[in-house]
Amino acid sequence: MIEDFRLLEKNGFRLLPYKLVTDEGSAAAAAKVMEYPVALKVVSEDISHKSDIGGVKIRIRDEAALRLAFREIMENVKGHKVDGILVQKMARKGIELIIGGKKDAQFGHMVVLGLGGVYVEIFRDVTARICPVTDDDVKEMVEELKSHPLLVGARGEKPIDMKALRKMVLGVCTFIMKEDIKELDLNPVIFDEKGGDVVDVRFTR
Amino acid sequence: MDEMLKKLKYLFAPKSVAIVGGSPVPNKIGNVLMKNLIDGKFMGKIYAVNPKYTEVLGVPCFPRVTELPKAVDCVIIATPAETVPGILEDCGQKGVKGAIVLSGGFEEVGRNDLAQMMKDISKKYKLPVIGPNCLGIFNPYTRLDSIFLPMYKLQRPGPGGIAFITQSGAVGSTVVDLAAHYGMGVSKFISYGNGTVLTECDLLEFLENDKETSIVILYLEGVKDGRRLLEWMKKVNRKKPIVALKAGKFGKAMAAARSHTGNIAGNYMAYKAAFRQAKVTEADDLVELFDFVKIFDQPMPSGNRVGVITNGGGMGVLTADAINDQGMEIADFSNESKEAIKKILPSYGSVGNPLDLVADSGVESYKKAIDVMMNDQNIDSLAIVVLTQTLPIDERIIGVLSEANDLRKKPILTISVGGDYTEAYRRAFESKGVPSFNSPLSAIKALKRLTDYAAWRNKNSD
Repeated sequence: MIEDFRLLEKNGFRLLPYKLVTDEGSAAAAAKVMEYPVALKVVSEDISHKSDIGGVKIRIRDEAALRLAFREIMENVKGHKVDGILVQKMARKGIELIIGGKKDAQFGHMVVLGLGGVYVEIFRDVTARICPVTDDDVKEMVEELKSHPLLVGARGEKPIDMKALRKMVLGVCTFIMKEDIKELDLNPVIFDEKGGDVVDVRFTR
Repeated sequence: MDEMLKKLKYLFAPKSVAIVGGSPVPNKIGNVLMKNLIDGKFMGKIYAVNPKYTEVLGVPCFPRVTELPKAVDCVIIATPAETVPGILEDCGQKGVKGAIVLSGGFEEVGRNDLAQMMKDISKKYKLPVIGPNCLGIFNPYTRLDSIFLPMYKLQRPGPGGIAFITQSGAVGSTVVDLAAHYGMGVSKFISYGNGTVLTECDLLEFLENDKETSIVILYLEGVKDGRRLLEWMKKVNRKKPIVALKAGKFGKAMAAARSHTGNIAGNYMAYKAAFRQAKVTEADDLVELFDFVKIFDQPMPSGNRVGVITNGGGMGVLTADAINDQGMEIADFSNESKEAIKKILPSYGSVGNPLDLVADSGVESYKKAIDVMMNDQNIDSLAIVVLTQTLPIDERIIGVLSEANDLRKKPILTISVGGDYTEAYRRAFESKGVPSFNSPLSAIKALKRLTDYAAWRNKNSD
């Protein structure tokens, strides 16, 4: 997981500040540097659904809560092989998008953009293009989404940073082609007017 | 491949053709093929190849391709799969220009060995091969016809500008039949089956510069090389609009519930992405396919502002709704047009878009109104509702619409909703090249596709 984060950063993606720690003290120190609120997530090869077994605590606002949360997670994941705990800054409020990539048997690498988070399954508001894509392609992808009005600022909200979004979609294409990734999910990526932060990553080579 | 593609023209317009398996026995495929060529008035010499006969239906018959008096341009093979490689080898040795293999029994039943032999022989002799497992070619211009279905069961369309590339024979034959039924002109029909040697990409490449083809229909089930398809769609669609229909959209992946890209993005999503990138117009079913194809014969509109003429208020409103629904614009008439329209309308009529000529209006009012809209710079395309049920409408309307259509100035379409009587009018409009629809929404949907395509092509013209 941390390797995935680092590889993405190396390829120019902006991730939320994070640090992998193994003890409570380091967790508190890391949280102080990145500033509260933060989230704690267990990092383990064994556990695929971290939140189902209580391996995730979010919106932690101070050190006391952090120390308590740390202990609770460790208690919950007892018996699993644990690599550490990820301290991650909480994302700002914004629109959750999914930016993904896939290698199709006939068409090769393709990039997918859609409304992310829990909405992926409900609305299936996604669109795709075959890589490599142009700036115009990305522009069209954004316009094709049913949630397009949300992205450009519905009901007085500020429009999200389209330049950053386009850069990220183009970046995903370049990345999956260069590294020959079979499947990639940046989900969610939280976008607001100041740009987009990748919150969670998953990929298979 | 280049040399093979050069030879491909002989398959569409051969001076001579030999049917391997040509037979005098009624209802054998080799018999239907011969009959279709003879009765269909194929414009070239016909031979049969069959060791059992010296003559079939009055046509000379030879035991092997190698024993034909000369190398023919096209050999049509409908014999069992095992015999096909040997026959292709004969074709190569004889110097035949190309072959159509109708027989099934290759990749589709796991006989990849036979398919491989076919590829090898084709490569050795640079012999273009269509098929196997297909209906092959129908060319209305030369009357080459390898569709092994009798003409009384499946009508053949006349010559025109629509090329049709299809993997499936069943869908292909249905479309041929319907095209004939609707009076649509076809340039080439190609059912390529397994695409063992020549694929949809090769055929697109060929059609790019085919003089008789102005529109391409692409029916796909699955392709081997999606990237190559994308490149060729991009290239050809710039010159000739492609309308595509993809079958097999919903695989297991779509049923999967997990929210990962791999599951959300099934294989169809890749096709859809490719269509969008190439700006290919995608139809969702066969009805849409025909709706779109018939409007792509129209001149390219320069914008999305639609002028509506109607002789029934309600149908005008439905058309306006469809225009809004499809994200098109209801045109604002110029002042000159408004003045001119006032003179057309009866005293109780009012100027507006949709322009309601009212039910008492006759053909003459249509003629004048169309004329005004054709000359109004604020109008990019015309949607003309003709309710044929009203008393003043008679067959002169066909001439009026046909004349307007022949100007090739702006796209026009007609909307006529009704039963058998109306249907006869619609057929008459279409026989004059005026696209006609039986619902406002299907008409405007098609117009929207044409408008989008035109906008893209304008933007990207060199």
